[in-house]
Amino acid sequence: MSLAEPAALPVATSAAPRLHLLKRFTSRFKASLPAYLLLLPSLVFLALFTYGAMGRVLIDALYQRATPKAPVRFVGLENISAVLADPAFAGAVVNNLIYAFGTAVPSIALALLFALALSRTHAVTSALRAALFLPVLIPMVAASALFLFIFLPNVGLLDYYIGRLLPVLPNWLGDGDIALYAIMVITVWKNAGYYMLFFLAGLQAVPEDVMEAAHLDGAGPYRRLRHIILPELKPTFLFVTVIATLNAVTQVDHVFVMTQGGPSNATNLVLFYIYQQAVEHYDIGKASAATLLTLAVLMALTALSFRTLANREGGP
Amino acid sequence: MLFSRRLMLGLAMVGTMAGALAVPAKAEGPTEVDLFFPVPVDGKLARDMGTLIKEFNETHPAIKATAVYTGSYDDTLIKTRAAIKAGKPPAAVIMSANFLLDMQIENELTNLDALIKADGTTKEQFLGQFFPALHGNAVINRSVYGVPFHNSTPLLYINADKAKEAGLDPSKPPQTWAELTDWAKKLTKREGDKVTQWGIAIPCAYDYCGWMMETLTMSNGGRYYNEEFGGEVYYDTPSMLGALTWWNDLIHKHKVHTPGATPGPAVSTSFISGNAAMMMLSTGSLTYVRDNAKFNYKVAFIPRNVRNAVPIGGASLIMPAGLDADKQKAAWTLIKWMTSPEKSGWWSRATGYFAPNMATYKTPEMVEFLGKNPDAKTAVEQLDVAKPWFATYKTVPVRKNLEDEVMLVLNGKKQPKEALAAAQKAADETLKPYNAETSLKLP
Repeated sequence: MSLAEPAALPVATSAAPRLHLLKRFTSRFKASLPAYLLLLPSLVFLALFTYGAMGRVLIDALYQRATPKAPVRFVGLENISAVLADPAFAGAVVNNLIYAFGTAVPSIALALLFALALSRTHAVTSALRAALFLPVLIPMVAASALFLFIFLPNVGLLDYYIGRLLPVLPNWLGDGDIALYAIMVITVWKNAGYYMLFFLAGLQAVPEDVMEAAHLDGAGPYRRLRHIILPELKPTFLFVTVIATLNAVTQVDHVFVMTQGGPSNATNLVLFYIYQQAVEHYDIGKASAATLLTLAVLMALTALSFRTLANREGGP
Repeated sequence: MLFSRRLMLGLAMVGTMAGALAVPAKAEGPTEVDLFFPVPVDGKLARDMGTLIKEFNETHPAIKATAVYTGSYDDTLIKTRAAIKAGKPPAAVIMSANFLLDMQIENELTNLDALIKADGTTKEQFLGQFFPALHGNAVINRSVYGVPFHNSTPLLYINADKAKEAGLDPSKPPQTWAELTDWAKKLTKREGDKVTQWGIAIPCAYDYCGWMMETLTMSNGGRYYNEEFGGEVYYDTPSMLGALTWWNDLIHKHKVHTPGATPGPAVSTSFISGNAAMMMLSTGSLTYVRDNAKFNYKVAFIPRNVRNAVPIGGASLIMPAGLDADKQKAAWTLIKWMTSPEKSGWWSRATGYFAPNMATYKTPEMVEFLGKNPDAKTAVEQLDVAKPWFATYKTVPVRKNLEDEVMLVLNGKKQPKEALAAAQKAADETLKPYNAETSLKLP
């Protein structure tokens, strides 16, 4: 998002200090004109499809109709307080927190494990890397449709294999206690291979000489991991954590395909809640308000993480 | 943000596409009309729709119709609303029959009365073509807003081979809840505590669950909603309590029904694979069962506790509000052609839905088809006891208010009585704004 944009535009500083204010402004503008022109195409599209939409959400969040036939009227922050008071929203936030934690931690741990195991490049590891990366290439919607069959109660692939071992066959997606975890399994399966790539790249940056020195000093594999590799991978960890958290909020395709947030809202996540408000309840005001809240939290989270990241990298 | 960007993109795209289509329409050529159509059952429908529209265009040179595939019933509502907001509504839409009231309340539908009158027919004559059970979802405040296109009722599907195995006579299917419970018990097979074959499966996922609750409640003598007024539902009533308690008993007391909430496709797969010996499902699945079942099956009416009654399902053709006169006329021609006895029958045979136009069943093709496939008759016969599909202000959220609670019961988290009280409270809350401007707006 905003992080991808250039930090500042080049500004002319050569103008004489006592020139007329207007003249100074014109010369400044002239100097930076090429920069603006170069940026124009992206600015137009950003304005149309990103900032325009965000502005619209901001405006929509402030309006509401009292009754179906009444015209929309300005209500200020009422939509936001209505969203915050909605138990379904609170439920979605709690689900999303469980989902974010329960998908980020295992997928990052698995990704690290895979990366460590496959860090040396030869034919076998290349093939394994490709195999682990495969789920990333499958669109989430297609993957969800496949898992829908795997999770079918009684007759699905999963029950077919483990059915013999369990006394009672679980209704994977129909039982409110299990459904969210079933959804989380898919996310971990889908994302672990992707995060593995970052760790593989991070491992390349671990200095070879330090590792050799540690080896000569008699440091075993565990100590090398604990004291050299993991500290070197810190920036990668932080980056992957941010990506995983953002994914936990923005990727809800499988909820849409598999459970529609059910049973009884057990798999309802924040983005799906927004969809429900906009589409099912036809309540644009509340949907926009929930979008704003989510956006604010995500931006704060991203800014915080990257500031921490910058501090770490900038340090000695 | 992701959502809003998608929405804006969608709106922009719909806008440009509609714009691009609208420009040539002003030229001398044929009137161009878009038809939004959902595919609620399986992929073959999209091909059949292409065939149908091609034939229409060949026989109507003054009109050029384009069929636009718009996903599920719910997606079709979303896309239609987005197109209306962008100021470029499609000329006709195949819309889930229970969304019409909600759209009419939001002023999104064209009243068809004037078009019917311009044809020189009365409303009674026009509606008289269709099965009476379908009128309720097409007529709002005595005005016609939709033309029934393909419809369904729920059916009881029985695996006849398994029934014989269990010593039951499939030619005399269960007619009451008591008989059905008995059948389900006899058809359930256990190895210790583990069930290897379920007696019955009833689907419960969003959309299907509400329809099944309406089915069971009606068979128990009750009503789901106020058919005359979109501001009331009857969740906390003895008839619905009896319905939900029976469903709950099948799972937790008799242990003859798959536990938890099971979506429609899982139920039909379970039936096809022989894992469930009976199921309640829409007639829309009949073609699927006929093509895939490797055993003899039998379809029957939904058994009663108090009376035989079922809701209808399916879709109607509608025209969004805000169309210019040319398009309205062209779309009306298309709608009348698609709902004529011949086309209606062709579509019914292709899909498994029944044809809403009664004259269809007198066409030679349909008589021959029913001779070969007598199971397709059951749904039509059941129409005698069919009633409208629930439709209220904000149909979907009001339905979900009930479904979420029913799912809790099926999962053993709540008792029927408290669940229905909670559902009623939630639904009353959802309906409040509408009541505030109608039933509770007093002089």
